[in-house]
Amino acid sequence: MDESEDTPKDFIKLKSEKLSVDEVSELVVSPYCGAVSLFIGTTRNNFEGKKVIHLEYEAYTSMAETEIKKICRDVRQKWPSVKHIAIYHRLGVVPITEASVIIAVSSPHRGESLEAVMYCINTLKASVPIWKKEIYDDEYSWKENKECFWANSEK
Amino acid sequence: QVSVLYFARSAELAGLRSETLSVPRQITSLQLWEEIVKAHPRLAVIRDQVVFAVRQEYVLLGDQLLVLQPGDEVAIIPPISGG
Repeated sequence: MDESEDTPKDFIKLKSEKLSVDEVSELVVSPYCGAVSLFIGTTRNNFEGKKVIHLEYEAYTSMAETEIKKICRDVRQKWPSVKHIAIYHRLGVVPITEASVIIAVSSPHRGESLEAVMYCINTLKASVPIWKKEIYDDEYSWKENKECFWANSEK
Repeated sequence: QVSVLYFARSAELAGLRSETLSVPRQITSLQLWEEIVKAHPRLAVIRDQVVFAVRQEYVLLGDQLLVLQPGDEVAIIPPISGG
């Protein structure tokens, strides 16, 4: 089979519409791959006993896309057999249980895509300029990822 | 003259999302922060939590000397929470 017709691709998108797991996983499917691994980050309805009404995301869009491209490049260096990578992040209001982020990776065998997906979400949380605001009944709070490499919050 | 972009909490404290600022071509990241706080004193409370992104590369607040070109983008980056 001519594998050059299935050149590895990175699919990166930041959008305010609802994310579709079907759409994102279909992007990475390949006849040369026996594995598609998936991570979906969804909105929880509570934080420290407070009821979360919804989340709101904003991004430094151009830099976020650049940082996500760096993550894809790193993935391909660490796991060269990875075929396609899709990282979709939602911006704006995300209601409870809906997805804020979907990451899908395909590889010939399951080990690489499983590890690559974990690397993608962990690194995204540490380095991509996207911010989340949790909206409660009577107040809101800008969240801070513990992975953020420069923040040392004493929470 | 550089473009300063504000995000998340820093946009709330500064009351705006972007502006142009006149700064010296060579300036340390800490001095740049001080210029910005002069214009928006409410930002002082997040000094220990933010970094800059200069031409889309992260820069800590400190002695690092920045060499800025007209039109460069400088962003205030509060602690991130993507994913």
